[in-house]
Amino acid sequence: MQASARHQRHRLATIVGLLPLIIFLALLLYVGLNAPNFLTVVNLKLVLTQSLTVVLSVIGLSAVVMAGGDDVVSGGIDLSIPATAVLCAGIVAVMTSAGQPVILAAGAALVASMLVGVVNAVLITRLRMAPLLATLAMFVAVVGITNVITERKRLNLNADSIAALRGDIVPGIPLGILLVAILSLLAWFFLHRSKWGLNLQAAGGSRDAAEISGIRVDRLVAQSYLLAAFMGFVTGFFMLARANGYSPGAQDNLMLEMVLATFLGAAFSPRRIVTVWGAILGAVLVAAISIGLKTIGVNVFWTDLIKGALIVIVVALSAISQRVQ
Amino acid sequence: MDTFANKNWLSPRKILMRFGFLIVFAAFFLFFAAWNPVFVQGQNLLNIVEGSAILIIIALGMTLIVATGGIDLSVGIALDFGAAFAVVAMKSYGMGWFPAACVGLLGGSLVGLLNAALVVGLRISPFLATLGTFFIGSSVQRIFTHGGGPISYRQMPDGFRNIAQGNLFGIPTEVIIAAVLVVIYYLVLERSVWGRRVHAMGMQRSAAIVAGIRVNRILIACFVFASITCAVGGLIAAANIRMFTPLSGFAYLLDAIAAVFIGAALHPRGRPNVLGTLAGVLFLGMVTNGLNLMGLNFNTKDALSGIILVSALALAVAQRNMRSADGD
Amino acid sequence: MTEAAFQLSGIVQTFPGVRALDGADLTIYPGEVHGLVGENGAGKSTIIKVLAGVYQPDEGRIEVGGSSVSPATPEKIRDAGIRFIHQELHLVPHFTVAESVFMGQEISGPFGLSKRKMRSRAEAFMRDELGTELPGNRLIRDLGPAERKLVQVARALVDGAAKVVVFDEPTAPLASEDVRTIMTAIARLKSRGIAILYVSHYLNEIIDICDRVTVFRQGKNVAVFDEVTKNTGSELVSAMIGRALDNFFPTTDRQPGEVSLRLAGYDDGKTFSDVHLDVRRGEIFGIAGLIGSGRDELIDALYGLRKSQGTLTLDGATLDTKTAAKAVANGMVLVPRDRRHDGLVLPMTVTENATLATLDENASFGLIDRKKARSATERLIKDLDIRPANALAVTRFLSGGNQQKVVLARWLAKSARIFIFDEPTVGVDVGAKAEIYQLIENLASQGAIIVMSSSDPVELVGTCDRVAVMMRGEVRTIIDKPDLNVDHLVAVTTGATTVSETAYAS
Repeated sequence: MQASARHQRHRLATIVGLLPLIIFLALLLYVGLNAPNFLTVVNLKLVLTQSLTVVLSVIGLSAVVMAGGDDVVSGGIDLSIPATAVLCAGIVAVMTSAGQPVILAAGAALVASMLVGVVNAVLITRLRMAPLLATLAMFVAVVGITNVITERKRLNLNADSIAALRGDIVPGIPLGILLVAILSLLAWFFLHRSKWGLNLQAAGGSRDAAEISGIRVDRLVAQSYLLAAFMGFVTGFFMLARANGYSPGAQDNLMLEMVLATFLGAAFSPRRIVTVWGAILGAVLVAAISIGLKTIGVNVFWTDLIKGALIVIVVALSAISQRVQ
Repeated sequence: MDTFANKNWLSPRKILMRFGFLIVFAAFFLFFAAWNPVFVQGQNLLNIVEGSAILIIIALGMTLIVATGGIDLSVGIALDFGAAFAVVAMKSYGMGWFPAACVGLLGGSLVGLLNAALVVGLRISPFLATLGTFFIGSSVQRIFTHGGGPISYRQMPDGFRNIAQGNLFGIPTEVIIAAVLVVIYYLVLERSVWGRRVHAMGMQRSAAIVAGIRVNRILIACFVFASITCAVGGLIAAANIRMFTPLSGFAYLLDAIAAVFIGAALHPRGRPNVLGTLAGVLFLGMVTNGLNLMGLNFNTKDALSGIILVSALALAVAQRNMRSADGD
Repeated sequence: MTEAAFQLSGIVQTFPGVRALDGADLTIYPGEVHGLVGENGAGKSTIIKVLAGVYQPDEGRIEVGGSSVSPATPEKIRDAGIRFIHQELHLVPHFTVAESVFMGQEISGPFGLSKRKMRSRAEAFMRDELGTELPGNRLIRDLGPAERKLVQVARALVDGAAKVVVFDEPTAPLASEDVRTIMTAIARLKSRGIAILYVSHYLNEIIDICDRVTVFRQGKNVAVFDEVTKNTGSELVSAMIGRALDNFFPTTDRQPGEVSLRLAGYDDGKTFSDVHLDVRRGEIFGIAGLIGSGRDELIDALYGLRKSQGTLTLDGATLDTKTAAKAVANGMVLVPRDRRHDGLVLPMTVTENATLATLDENASFGLIDRKKARSATERLIKDLDIRPANALAVTRFLSGGNQQKVVLARWLAKSARIFIFDEPTVGVDVGAKAEIYQLIENLASQGAIIVMSSSDPVELVGTCDRVAVMMRGEVRTIIDKPDLNVDHLVAVTTGATTVSETAYAS
């Protein structure tokens, strides 16, 4: 009898754990029924295109969370990724506007981005600063530097190679989506199917266990911040492509969506942990909801409210499902 | 006694450990003073304090939440709500300044109640719960103001304007309000029975529960108390510019967090504490003011203060690390 | 004899102000299970860390397999085939068994990790070498404590190069039937010629499985027993503490009074049900039971830390302990089993911890009267002989025994009527143990009601007037003082035999 009670609880926990996904799908279905052209290929392309910057950032963020542990305050988190992205976008926009070749601009942006990653890694693994605090402060500093570089001005894109990210490579499939898909697969492979990735997860899951097994935790944690900075760098180009130039202020919304998508993703994963594919799925779903709500004519100001409520619901359900179990 | 027996008690390392942050504070002070003598004039120093008044108040609320072991990303929302409720109460409902101020504080407390419901009721981690509150609160403001336009009220009663613009014996009211709150917070958090319970809960929740402390009740009170405090900041902000500007509270969030953590690093045992927070806020205020007096361009000033923020935090943390490595 | 698997000789290890090891020797031969016992602070963990290469000793030689290792580093020691099974279960809860076993030594193929290969090798190792069937894809968080321990063992040994395995308190978190699983695994390792160093506080286990035993006291080996029999137990104890066992437990002529505290119909719907108990005034009432017997959960429920049904009455009046705060307010206090987690706020000082429940008495107008709090604490420090006698010492840095005394000090200041002790002496050294037993005895003599939950049968027999034995969520029997002896209690607790058969057996 006890065993069956436990079994029932387990099933209940599974159902509660699946609720976030069910809520999302229900919401999408509702949108689809009210706006028949929402669930079409064209719209799917729009959703994916919309989600690219978030997908790229969450790859970086999920690596950091996997290496540092999923406690938001004391574990791993990198809020500076969106700032790195605007820094990269700003540098590239300013330099190409000044007539420099794209490749040189990209090189400069890469150096700057990796510098952000190095500072994060040093603050966190050497000085043992709480990642939340360190990366939040870096967010402020990097955005400040970006504003100096760009003088907070809108800059139009002056490089066809970046704009090409929006264009189709084969009919129907834009180059950007293809590239991000490849990057996602690579990230999934390295973070979930390689020795390095498994060690990274071990480091975040139990620092002591990893150290006893001879895993060099600090080095892995530092590498995760470098990876995050690199993903910020890549995100910068997709920002430029999407807005057809640099426009100030893109970082705030990206930060919130990135955190939402990553922790939403944890609710989707069977082990209830942050995973790359979960985070990517979260990013796509968030974009789908945003576009879907717009399609059925919901006031744009309400969209944020719904997103905020979604964070709360998803995280609460995840907490409840753990308690039931 | 041991300290004196120890021969190298004045080694550079120990000096840095004990006074590192003070030295940096002094160095910045001297630098700004050398750059522009106006910096050290009494009026300018008062300006620094006056300019920091709202941040002091927000940072006090943040100190309380960090002491519970959490973090509050929605302090700005509480500030906005405080301002919005008070301005609307006066403008649309013709309330007097005092009842309107009370309505403002009540409005701010809604934010704390929502946080408390999420954290205590649904057991969401404070970071994610207050992030959710932030989203929801921001969006409510946008909906209410149809996109974020300010609600201005030029003819606000003098009593309300005096919250920010009045003075007592030449000291601006907002400074007096901030000072009173600092004293209250110091007594409550550092000296009172209740504050000791807050610290115990923040450091080791399960041990606090076994010791018979009503942690949920305390946590709810902390969130509400902190949000009302932030709403006081909102009243001052609204009185200063005679309007409610939606989403203006967000600007204080990062500085408030930074001030609390600088303050915690200054504490011998690394606890978040009121006087440390005050030191952190004044440091940030001094840097802003000094950079202004240097006549730098707005963007450059912003970038510099961001970089100084990172460095100050790094230094504060390094100082705490060295201290704990030496066993207090 | 054959060549030693490893030999430590003349090891001296000093820390600032402490001589942790003072010329200690330790020799282990292949194919033997060697016990290492001693009080806390005797130098057991220090010598293990010297062997592991974590500490570099000031003097002494380390030889592995006949050749000297100098300096010993963790890598060299590992390469020499010495493996450590740490006391803490260092595992990632959301990893699978296979992932945990191969942590840090993953098998990769051309297309990334070979998950299937790792799984089959992990399962084969667990089955062949450790005698357990464990699916490689199970998550660690779904395993019981014994299975987790075995995963830890497998991780240390799966590369097949181990010659010496050091077990540091492997059974501390385990129930008796799980201990047997570990013992079986150790016997298998022994039969393969692997030398085993077995460090434990549980002398019965040492006697059961060890071929030889080394006893440490005050930083050196004071005795080596080349033969271990049933009678070695008391000799071990006297070698460890330097005195006989008799004056370990307090002697008493205390007579419990009338029934005062009644538990009726306690039931949490999951782990225990239908618990009825009557406890007398001035009685020390023990609760025994294995892990999973519902004993821990019952204590939690009693103190309002766990939801349950049931009524509690004190002298006929209902006692509300639905939350811990209410329990404390109504005069019931708990000395919890996980002292470092639930007992103390570790970053706080002795004063702050000792006055945490009596803040109101040490305050005026809601503000803490620091002087009063400090002098109250100093009185308690003196009464309980807490060391160091510093009211401002941070409790994190106190020894286990002194930490426990600080928890006690807090409740003594509260002058409670009902004391619940949950594993009161786990991680407490022998000297402090005796003091804590005496304190408990004194409380009972003063008419307090004492409930003592413990997994240590010796402790229950030595201190309690009656012991209730729980099994699978029920109270199976209550043993009265005349029938209370260790053999009987263990037999009933483990379900080895029924009560009627053993009532006169010993």
